[in-house]
Amino acid sequence: MDFSVLMQAIVSGILVGGVYALIGIGLTIIFGVMRVINFGHGDIMMVGMYMTYFLFTLFGVDPFVSVLITMPLMFLFGAILQKVFINRILGSLPQNQILLTIGLGLIMSNTAMLAFTSDYKILTTSYSSSSFNIFGISISEPLLISFLITAAITIGLYWFLLKTDTGQAIRATAQDREAAQLMGINVKWMSILSFGIGSAMAGTAGALISPTYYIFPQVGSAFTLKAFVITVLGGMGSIVGATLGGIIIGLVESVAAVTISSDWKDVVVFSIFLLVLLIKPSGLMGKSRM
Amino acid sequence: MFRKIAATALVVGLALPSVSQAAKVKIGFINTITGAEAPIGENLTNGVTMAIEDLKKKGIEVDLTKEDDTGKPEKSLAAFEKLATRDNVAGVVGPYTSACASAVASQADKYKVPILVPAAAKEDITRKGYKFVFRLNAPADVYSSVLMDAVLTLDKPKTIAYIYESTDFGTSTVNTAKEYAKRLGIQEVADERYQKGAPDFRSTLSKIKSKNPDLVFMVSYVVDAITLMRQSKEIGLAPKAFLGGGAGFTTAQFLAQKEISNLVMSSTQWTDDVNWPGAADFAKRYTAKFKKEPTYHAACAYEAMMIMAETASKNSGDRDKTRNGLKSGKWNGIMGEVKFADYAGFTNQNNHPMLVQQVQGAKYETIYPPKFATKKPVYPFKWK
Repeated sequence: MDFSVLMQAIVSGILVGGVYALIGIGLTIIFGVMRVINFGHGDIMMVGMYMTYFLFTLFGVDPFVSVLITMPLMFLFGAILQKVFINRILGSLPQNQILLTIGLGLIMSNTAMLAFTSDYKILTTSYSSSSFNIFGISISEPLLISFLITAAITIGLYWFLLKTDTGQAIRATAQDREAAQLMGINVKWMSILSFGIGSAMAGTAGALISPTYYIFPQVGSAFTLKAFVITVLGGMGSIVGATLGGIIIGLVESVAAVTISSDWKDVVVFSIFLLVLLIKPSGLMGKSRM
Repeated sequence: MFRKIAATALVVGLALPSVSQAAKVKIGFINTITGAEAPIGENLTNGVTMAIEDLKKKGIEVDLTKEDDTGKPEKSLAAFEKLATRDNVAGVVGPYTSACASAVASQADKYKVPILVPAAAKEDITRKGYKFVFRLNAPADVYSSVLMDAVLTLDKPKTIAYIYESTDFGTSTVNTAKEYAKRLGIQEVADERYQKGAPDFRSTLSKIKSKNPDLVFMVSYVVDAITLMRQSKEIGLAPKAFLGGGAGFTTAQFLAQKEISNLVMSSTQWTDDVNWPGAADFAKRYTAKFKKEPTYHAACAYEAMMIMAETASKNSGDRDKTRNGLKSGKWNGIMGEVKFADYAGFTNQNNHPMLVQQVQGAKYETIYPPKFATKKPVYPFKWK
């Protein structure tokens, strides 16, 4: 095995993993606070992708700049979803919650298909395939930018959750919903807030991946599965876990593709996934809650 | 005198409806209208729509039943069974993808319904001796052999790398490519299968780059072709030629990505500048009607529908006679000469000559075989 090939795989694996992490973080925040697994997460991401696409083609807003518009809009979208739909089923059986989120996802993807047809939308920016070289390793410019944005958002989120009153209230709700309520925290508002943040993260991930990937109404399902694996691997509800999980999945996919074969990479990913669950059933960061 | 005219009028009046009635023929059409392959499926639908209009001009009224298989073999099969038993069609055109077409082909003899596959490549479809299965397009082996033949006229390549999606179409095309390359003495240096729709091929591509192959042969549907080429550019993979096996490398969307599509060669069943009767005219009318340029899928579907409907109407919708009509008939239209023959293990297979096109100056130009070529090939490959 050529050393530079392996290094290349590690570098692009980490960069791709960063975006995966962002998708996972969104899912894990929602789960942490509400104990609801959002199976429409990938579809929320798809909405973010279309938003980015139309901002770019209609108004010429650069995909990376459009994050500033996409994020608050997706926050609002998520908050409304929570207020109108999710809130009603917070106390009900898990399978009912799953059905609702799957249903919402189906409505989103099929509405997108009605409105925009099943055609693939390809976002072509001047830097869609540009890269630069460091020590013979090529680094994709759009991927690097999205990794940096992801890192900035993740750090910002940590700060928000650790240092601000609202952040502490969200964490308190995640730790014990009833105790938090008794302490005077408005848990309903915290739920809306966290679903909004979760959706904003998913939408942002969609925006960041748009310049190098493509957009179609069913694009979400593949990412829902990925987000789910990342979250479970990292430990449901743990943000550090999701960040770690995302990078591990990206890295394993990439390295498995060069050391074994691209055909087998999913087998490797899921084997590691099962192994972690066997040894530590709660996931990598399962016990510690942010 | 007056009575004579009246009598003639009466005869004409009686004869006319009976003529059009005799020509009304029931045909089924199975296609991928929704789902991941829908963007290519749309080309087939448009081709068939044009065929129905042209058939009408020829006095053949088609009663068309369209079925959507969403690219899934089990849905395709269900659609075929419905067409065969409930809709009583004389024949079926489709399905589009290899996986769907091979599923449906296996049931054609059971229901004794002739099917004409317009664009699916997997060899097995016409290799199992099915009596009622016909195929218009060239099978998978030609996708790769025509490309290598084209390169051989320019150079003596020594090594080849394969990267392809793990579908029926991808694997069957590359399996035949490997056999042919071995016969030509071209050494295989990489064999990479991938899961359709993956967002990241960078590591795989850099592995291929480290082997420094003369040729890189890719097989993928629609947009993976674009992702693959974008990331090849990023990584700096630059073989002497990028060879694309049809499908995703022959779409308008691929062409529109000027930065990465330039000089890529791909095999195709049809181009709009080939000198087959009516090809150029078809392209012109198609573009005017649908505001898009036709891909080879559109031309294949058009010609398949023309052949199926004409044969079925000639045999007044009788399935057995239509099957025999297809077997003994000969056509010459926008796909060139068509004849369903038995050769080299194939049954009812049209021995269609494939073409090689290259993107030059944001246009697809036919570069091989020489008798159909419009431009000289540009070789070796260089990034813009």
